[in-house]
Amino acid sequence: MNNNNNKKNFKTPEGYFEGFSDRLLDRISNANNDPKSSLLPESDGFSLPDGYFDSLNKSIQDRLNDNAPKVIALNSRRKLYYYAAAAVAAIGLLAIGLRTNNTSEPTFEGLANTEIEEYFEFNDLGLTTYEIAEVIPVDELDISDIMDDKLEEENIIDYLDNSIENIEELNLTEYEY
Amino acid sequence: MIAEETLLHELKQLETQARAFEVLVNTYKERLYWHIRRIVLNHDDTDDVLQNTFIKVYKNINGFKGDSKLYSWMYRIATNEALTFLKKKSNKLGISDTELKDKMVSNLQADVYFEGDEIQLKLQKAIATLPEKQKLVFNMKYYQEMKYEEISAILDTSVGGLKASYHLAVKKVESFLKED
Repeated sequence: MNNNNNKKNFKTPEGYFEGFSDRLLDRISNANNDPKSSLLPESDGFSLPDGYFDSLNKSIQDRLNDNAPKVIALNSRRKLYYYAAAAVAAIGLLAIGLRTNNTSEPTFEGLANTEIEEYFEFNDLGLTTYEIAEVIPVDELDISDIMDDKLEEENIIDYLDNSIENIEELNLTEYEY
Repeated sequence: MIAEETLLHELKQLETQARAFEVLVNTYKERLYWHIRRIVLNHDDTDDVLQNTFIKVYKNINGFKGDSKLYSWMYRIATNEALTFLKKKSNKLGISDTELKDKMVSNLQADVYFEGDEIQLKLQKAIATLPEKQKLVFNMKYYQEMKYEEISAILDTSVGGLKASYHLAVKKVESFLKED
């Protein structure tokens, strides 16, 4: 290594190497500590009743005891009545359903627009893009016809996070938005 | 403090389960309380959700395989219980999530267990405007001072993604607080 040549061509600020390891260690320890904002208050003002935490354990235990499975006496006769009532109700509903004879054919007037939209969205009609283009007036289309939700920052960050190996390389925290 | 492995072992044994569960509650009750409180805001609701969380932990402890830390698992349960609680509340009241958040923050002023000043109330309004994940990351990082690695294990998001979310959240909250 030709150290003498290096020293002739390049210079460093005075005392640079003396303080280097201290500066580096400070930076490493601050890596997890974002500085507190001077605009934000130190505390958020919430309080709670005195002794709350002291009684919490008992409250939870009481709830756990309440949730413990209870022994229910079997009453077979009552159950028989319930089954009978359910059977009668079912037969009654079936009879009503069979008697009504709806012969009228469905029309488009009875359909809501949302029902028609849902039909197109959840059914594969096998239409080609040319067939769709024939019925949609392309000249009158706007981006808001296709995308009606504004893209949220959170969704953009999640997308970037999942698509890039290391989102930190984008230095997003260095930019002012 | 009892080692987590020992505690987990005792929680799964019938003869030591009750005592171990008491230790578990005592160890984590405050941290989980404040985590939940910052999501649901109200003390009584927090009490409900916290108890539900511990009961769920008790009932499911035998199914916990130890593939994450015990506290990460508990925090995940607490987070999900709190978010589900809010969802049920908004459905019951017939209002949207956003309307519920606004209602919860406006109720804080009259809340006997909120002793914050004007800036602290404004802070809660600011946090209520954040998307769900940013709100969680902000609370866990800024007030609970959790490490990114701990938050990552709970929210199942990379450290880099969390840093980006946190950075955005802080900027938005600061910007809201600067407004008149």
